Amino acid sequence: MDASSRPILVALGSEARALRLIQAACRMARERGVPWIAAHVRTTAGPSAEDGEQAQVWLQEAQRLGAEIRVIRAPTLAQGLADLARSTHAQVLILGRSRDRWPWARLGHATADELQRRGLDAGLEVLDDPPGAVWEEPPETPFGATLGTFLVLAACTGLAWLVPREGNLSLVLPVYLLGVAFIAHRWGQGLGVLASALGALLYSFLLETPRFSQAAGHWPNLLFFLAMLLAAQLVMGLLRRLRLQAREVQRREVHTASLYLLGRALARSRTPEEVASAAAEHIGRAFKATAWLLLPEGDAWRSLPAPVEGSPLPSPPELSPGLEMGGREGDPLEPLPLGGAFYLSLTGTDRSEGVLRILPREPGGLPPRTWELLKAFAAQIALALERLRWLEEARRAQVERETERLRSTLLGAIGHDLRTPLAAIHGAAGTLLLPGDLAESTRRDLLAMIQDESERLAHLLGNLLDLTRLESGVLQVQKEWQPLEEVVGAALGRLERRGGAVPVRVDLPPDLPLVPLDAALMEQVLINLLANARRHAPGRDADLRAWSEPGRLCLEVADRGPGVPEAFLERIFDKFFRLPEAGEGGVGLGLAICRAIVQAHGGEIRAEARPGGGTAFRIDLPLPGDPPTLPEGAP
Amino acid sequence: MTAPPGSAHPPRILVVEDEPALRRFLVPTLAGQGYQVLTAATAAEGLAQARSHNPDLVLLDLGLPDLDGMEVLRQLRAWSRRPIVILSARNQEHDKVRALDLGADDYLAKPFGAAELLARLRVALRRTIPTEAGDTVVAGGGLRIDLGRREVSLEGRPVHLTALEYRLLEALVRRNGRVATHSQLLAEVWGPGGEGNTHYLRIYMAMLRRKLEADPTRPRHFITEPNVGYRLDLDGPG
Repeated sequence: MDASSRPILVALGSEARALRLIQAACRMARERGVPWIAAHVRTTAGPSAEDGEQAQVWLQEAQRLGAEIRVIRAPTLAQGLADLARSTHAQVLILGRSRDRWPWARLGHATADELQRRGLDAGLEVLDDPPGAVWEEPPETPFGATLGTFLVLAACTGLAWLVPREGNLSLVLPVYLLGVAFIAHRWGQGLGVLASALGALLYSFLLETPRFSQAAGHWPNLLFFLAMLLAAQLVMGLLRRLRLQAREVQRREVHTASLYLLGRALARSRTPEEVASAAAEHIGRAFKATAWLLLPEGDAWRSLPAPVEGSPLPSPPELSPGLEMGGREGDPLEPLPLGGAFYLSLTGTDRSEGVLRILPREPGGLPPRTWELLKAFAAQIALALERLRWLEEARRAQVERETERLRSTLLGAIGHDLRTPLAAIHGAAGTLLLPGDLAESTRRDLLAMIQDESERLAHLLGNLLDLTRLESGVLQVQKEWQPLEEVVGAALGRLERRGGAVPVRVDLPPDLPLVPLDAALMEQVLINLLANARRHAPGRDADLRAWSEPGRLCLEVADRGPGVPEAFLERIFDKFFRLPEAGEGGVGLGLAICRAIVQAHGGEIRAEARPGGGTAFRIDLPLPGDPPTLPEGAP
Repeated sequence: MTAPPGSAHPPRILVVEDEPALRRFLVPTLAGQGYQVLTAATAAEGLAQARSHNPDLVLLDLGLPDLDGMEVLRQLRAWSRRPIVILSARNQEHDKVRALDLGADDYLAKPFGAAELLARLRVALRRTIPTEAGDTVVAGGGLRIDLGRREVSLEGRPVHLTALEYRLLEALVRRNGRVATHSQLLAEVWGPGGEGNTHYLRIYMAMLRRKLEADPTRPRHFITEPNVGYRLDLDGPG
């Protein structure tokens, strides 16, 4: 294999440092332009199921970043890695090394040494955990701890004093051991050692007889001191490990829980604003930090929520190079510190969705050991944003499909419904212009036809325009509280001016409440419904009535026409839908407009078969809150 | 010639309309009714014509190529009190209200017929506003309103109106058939501070209709212009 294309191999365990190894390997592979392999070795000793799962997570993360992944079984880690390095011709093998171990173990690296012994043909890269990554005992104030140490020792001495002088040494020893162990546990190794020495001195000075003449260097005392020192060390080590484990378990629990909560909040978010507020809330709780989402918008960021005064946002060119890695747009591998804040790229599966900006509220910065969690948060937020983007794209595609469908239906409708009146107008005008005399009645007929047909054209175009504007959202509904009576009156008036008497019985109770609606639009609804009734049931009275129910106002326009077959009761509201037996007349837009308008009001419209024949159109309009009333004592 | 009485010459109407097809329809229709017609295809031309000929009425299209119709209206109103009737595309209630509030007298939504056009022009040209002094009486369609004595009767029977109802009726009567916008009526009847309370206006209008209309759901006199305002029509059939 060509030396320049030999892959980079990275060994991943289950520990959190694996993420840094992945990052290092990914970066190195990109710098050198070679593939990389992430490997996990299962030794025969066998990791716990939990560790195996964690390792799987890291492997997936590596795969996401372009690594080939391998899981192998081997008796020891070194043997497995050596075999793999040989079979893949790796040029570099990257290993991690923890600081979280006894001091004498920090010098070497057992696996690395064994690999060298096995004659590895690859370069070895050993990465140490960064300082500070290990959790440290929070130091108490030195003064308080020292004072406590002296108090504990004094108490021990007091207790020991109670032992009768001729009593056994073994009765005194455990008291001091206990005291030193407590000090070591409570205030740390340094004071533990000091307490051991002081305890030995106290013991020898105060308890040995004759009391003040004994030399400190007397060998039983030295032995006693050493025993206490060792005990203090052991207790320290044990307790520290226990405490670390407990902390770790607790920390993981907290992290898992906070991730779960964030995930749930993000799943409910339906806009970038909601994602940002969920992220800010959960990051604020988990990290004691304020968070913003920076979404690219042109050449600048759109900050969600709005940025606070006095903390200027870095411009995208300032931020991008730091977040970029190799040729790939930002990756949530390492938060970028900049001007007191941290920046993480929000990278979904295919591209960067934006940047997460974190400003720690406490001067100490982010709590240690939370960066992995922060990255997990960032990944979740990125996925939520990505989901929203895909949803939006899907919605847009749906709208485009719908528009396309409408356009083709429209072309079909125009083909017939626009051309017919145009042909009639054209023909009639041509006849009128012919030389020669026409009978006065013929002339008037032709002119009346021109007027009728052009009105039909205007009506059709108006409907099309209304529907387009309603559906595209250009037309805003201007709701105002008003009496329904007025809208009904306006609709009837307009219909009568347009086409003569409207045979309709109107039943509006005088105590009908005001209702918030757009008068011009609702008038259109009533005109369409009443015109339908007049067309389908000529000569028979239609009924218009209204009543109020809790929370809504109901309006019904019912005719005694031939009725609508049950199968079409819903479909008659579709655009361009016409009943099969319907003759010439509308183009199937009137009811579609009615539904669009009623829905824009937050209401519902439906058609029902009317008992006794005919069709009833019922509109329910919401009545939010109390209608406004006249002020008290109105003049 | 149907020139209104008292004028020495036939009314001169300036048509500011950029669509040749509409001018082709408007000019003969108006000329046929005895009006003297001037035309302008742009806002600049229209403003110049208005200054040089001082027409009795301007028919102004809001959608002009060179200048927003509202601006033309504002410039005309800066010096002329003569009637201005707006031609607007349908469903632009917002523009209609703005134009009326800027001082236009009436509007016509396209498409409109010749009969509607001529009726609106007659109303706009009438503008003989009844004065408060004297025994001014308006009547029509069974309704009789005596502004001097503050008396209203329907089919010969006196009708009692509250003070506010009467003020509203009076404001409509003074418009003489022209449309009054919601905000104009609120300002005139309720005074400053009444703006925004359009629902008061609607409630009082409903009360007026119940007292003065034969069928309040089919008003003959108190005509609603949805989302724009009201007009009082005493010429229509009672």
